[in-house]
Amino acid sequence: MFRFQSFEKKEENFTKKDTPLSSDTNLLIKQLKEIYDHHINKDFCSRTLFANFNKKNVYLFYYASIVNSDKIEQAIVQPLLENDGSSYSNVLTNESLKEIATIEKAIEHINSGKVVLLSEGDQIAYSIDVSQFQHRAISQSENESVVKGPQDAFTESTHINVSLIRKQIRDKQLITTVSSVGERSKQDVTIVYISDLVNPNILKNVKERIENIDTDNVRNVELLEQYLEERPYSIFPSIYYTERPDNAAAFIEDGHIILLMDSSSACLILPVTFWTFFHSPEDRYSRFMFGNFSRLIRFIAFYITMMISATYVALANFHSQMIPPDLLLAITASRERVPFPLIVEVLIMEVAFELIREAGIRIPSALGPTIGIVGALILGQAAVEANIISPIIVIIAALSGLTSFAISDVSLNYTVRITRFLFIFAAGLMGMLTLMGAFLLWFMYAASLKSFGMRFLSPIAPSFKSPKDTLFRKAVRSEIWRPGQIQPKDLKKK
Amino acid sequence: MKQLLQLIILLLSLLLLTSCYDKIELEQQSNVIAIGIDKEDEKGSFSFTFQIANPEAGSTLSTIGSKEEEKETITVPGTDILTATSLANSFVTKRMVLDHTKVVVVSKELAESNDFLRIIQSASRKPEIRGDVQIIVCKEEASQFLRNNQPSMERRPHKYYQFMLQRAIQTGLIPDADFHRFFQITEGDADLFLAIYATTLEENEKEYRITKEHNYIAGQIPKEGGNRTQFIGSAVFKKGKMIDILSGQETRTSNILDKTLHMDNIQVTYSDPIKPDYQVAVDYIQKVNPIIDIQYNKETNHASIDVTVPFEVRIIAIPSMVNYLSNKEHQKKLCNTIEQTNENIANKLIEKSQKIYKSDPFYWSLYIRKKFKDIPSFEKANWDEEIYPNADINVSFQLKRMSFGKMFNDSRLNEVTE
Repeated sequence: MFRFQSFEKKEENFTKKDTPLSSDTNLLIKQLKEIYDHHINKDFCSRTLFANFNKKNVYLFYYASIVNSDKIEQAIVQPLLENDGSSYSNVLTNESLKEIATIEKAIEHINSGKVVLLSEGDQIAYSIDVSQFQHRAISQSENESVVKGPQDAFTESTHINVSLIRKQIRDKQLITTVSSVGERSKQDVTIVYISDLVNPNILKNVKERIENIDTDNVRNVELLEQYLEERPYSIFPSIYYTERPDNAAAFIEDGHIILLMDSSSACLILPVTFWTFFHSPEDRYSRFMFGNFSRLIRFIAFYITMMISATYVALANFHSQMIPPDLLLAITASRERVPFPLIVEVLIMEVAFELIREAGIRIPSALGPTIGIVGALILGQAAVEANIISPIIVIIAALSGLTSFAISDVSLNYTVRITRFLFIFAAGLMGMLTLMGAFLLWFMYAASLKSFGMRFLSPIAPSFKSPKDTLFRKAVRSEIWRPGQIQPKDLKKK
Repeated sequence: MKQLLQLIILLLSLLLLTSCYDKIELEQQSNVIAIGIDKEDEKGSFSFTFQIANPEAGSTLSTIGSKEEEKETITVPGTDILTATSLANSFVTKRMVLDHTKVVVVSKELAESNDFLRIIQSASRKPEIRGDVQIIVCKEEASQFLRNNQPSMERRPHKYYQFMLQRAIQTGLIPDADFHRFFQITEGDADLFLAIYATTLEENEKEYRITKEHNYIAGQIPKEGGNRTQFIGSAVFKKGKMIDILSGQETRTSNILDKTLHMDNIQVTYSDPIKPDYQVAVDYIQKVNPIIDIQYNKETNHASIDVTVPFEVRIIAIPSMVNYLSNKEHQKKLCNTIEQTNENIANKLIEKSQKIYKSDPFYWSLYIRKKFKDIPSFEKANWDEEIYPNADINVSFQLKRMSFGKMFNDSRLNEVTE
């Protein structure tokens, strides 16, 4: 009962916006301590100092685990004890000194790793940024590895991430603004863009969306992505997720917007098109011929991974006249001793492959090699020898699995894998007729999508002035335009 | 989410309703590679022979016995092909599908009767049978032909027919005679259709004619070894009924004069103009189509047809060792002989077709059709009985280029023998 009451009380305090700081410092201190459950919250520190310059008591509040204690000593404690001056801004020369007028602000600042300083008798508090959130060092990009190109990846610190971007774009108009999300736990979302390129409507839209997120806590960009997107049930992603700073920089230079958060080692890029997911940064780092060659391979892989199983089902079950006689007889011979219908066979293998893949991601790395043995040996060879599946299915499943790895983007990869199953079912229904029907619906759906006002299949449909960097790309030096579909302020690149 | 769930349930019920319409597993069907049709004594009844490919033969799978036969040949009586397949299911285990049928073999007896068109019509009605199925006329019963045909190398039947016909058509010894062409020509009701002529019966030795050109019909080639089946020559069909047989050479000539048929390089021999005891072997190359120019006079309903056949030859053997390379006169003579020989053969064939068949096997009606206002007026003018038999036809072969291969001079015979 007591807990409930105290909770209610706190709630009351929170819901009231903008409570001005009381002039009664003792009351204020009591209030703050109560809010932070000072007696049980061991992390929460309050210190009392005697300031030299105005001969008053000064109270410091902060979370010990997220601040740099050396910095507190150097930037706050020492100057207060020793220095002379007329006001706090003279004594505390730290660049981040801010004045605070409300309790809510004070709470927010304490939560984000700042020291809040109350001066006896003052109605104004001060905050000094001494935060030191722990994070990894910059490491190599592992999920989007390239052979040719920079190797560094974002890490879980906005500060470092912005620095990685700024390193690549030395532009005075490169802006990093901050919006906060979350009601209970306020998190900073850093929006990065070049202000004389970005389309102001999109920027406004994004800011509004971030402000309108109505939830207690958005911990990282992976969750932010789901709060921002227009269609949560769509099988197509509408925001690009990348851990490569060079990729982010390339999109910023084209007028896109980047979102960063402190606890994510990746960023969100928006708005995007289908081609964004289809491309790999290495396509641009490789020379014209080489980059386009790998695009061609990827496109073939994209088609094969979605279609091969479904096409096989359709052809073998409904249109056996389309299979050349040699192959037909070979398939028939291998199927004569298999107990399942062909579509079940295909599904068994496709599901088995998905199992290997899922298990491969979740398995502790020490057990990794087991997956290879179990997968290759049991599912491949033994299943064929036991006449559970026919050998051609192994080839089909292996091909569709292998080609799916060519789609490097995590989101689009899921799209393709789910689509593959949809297509297999469609093909099992009435063969090529329903397969093509399903493909058309899928394609029409993709064409109808929008990512922050930008058509998903642009700049091909609808057509825009753009670098024509879609399926293939032009030589870098003959790219004149920025992507016209996002209507950047400056369309011309050179 | 609820809507999505409803949609999924709806779609799944659709799956049950359609019950995978039309679906058939591969192992539940037997693929018929060749169909043979014979006439029975009773009117309107036939016997059908189906040659079924066995998928397990030649399979590399270790668990499957590869001792089974490559094919099974069965014969059932019936009135048309499709009902015969269901009767055959009384002893064939799986559904018989005709999707992969390569050839339809018809006995000469049936081809010469009026029933041929009836039976072939019904076969084309079902979409299962492809338009590119080749029509073969055999001298013996079709069932006998299919049973006798035991190739020792391409033992799997679909491979045998694929390779055999492909190459023989390329050399021009047999015509390209698929269903499409048969119906096109028969329904066009003007020209003659040439079907492949083949047999497994070798004629008596007395009847063998050893000729210097390819002037054989199937069964006459004095060969030894190999498969006993011979594909050479063609069966001439007029209005869906077989009327005659053309030899391999005549078939080839007809292929040359017909723009709609494609032909590969062929090797032929011509008699040596300097030493007539010998033959000169050449590679006949037809790079461009013949030019067929038809002048038609409406009043007299008379046509004159000028055919120019430009061709090239590559000399491949001169057993007489006459120096054709540097001797311009000899060369000219050889050139004349080749042109002359070709023209003679063509003229003979044309004369035969004008006098005996009263129609042409070259599909020339294509080039006169455009001179008529509509099809009824073309039919009224009667190409196959009136215009063609009385037309003035002038065929000229023009040798455009002669090359001598990679050797300039033959070995000097005198020096070698000394």
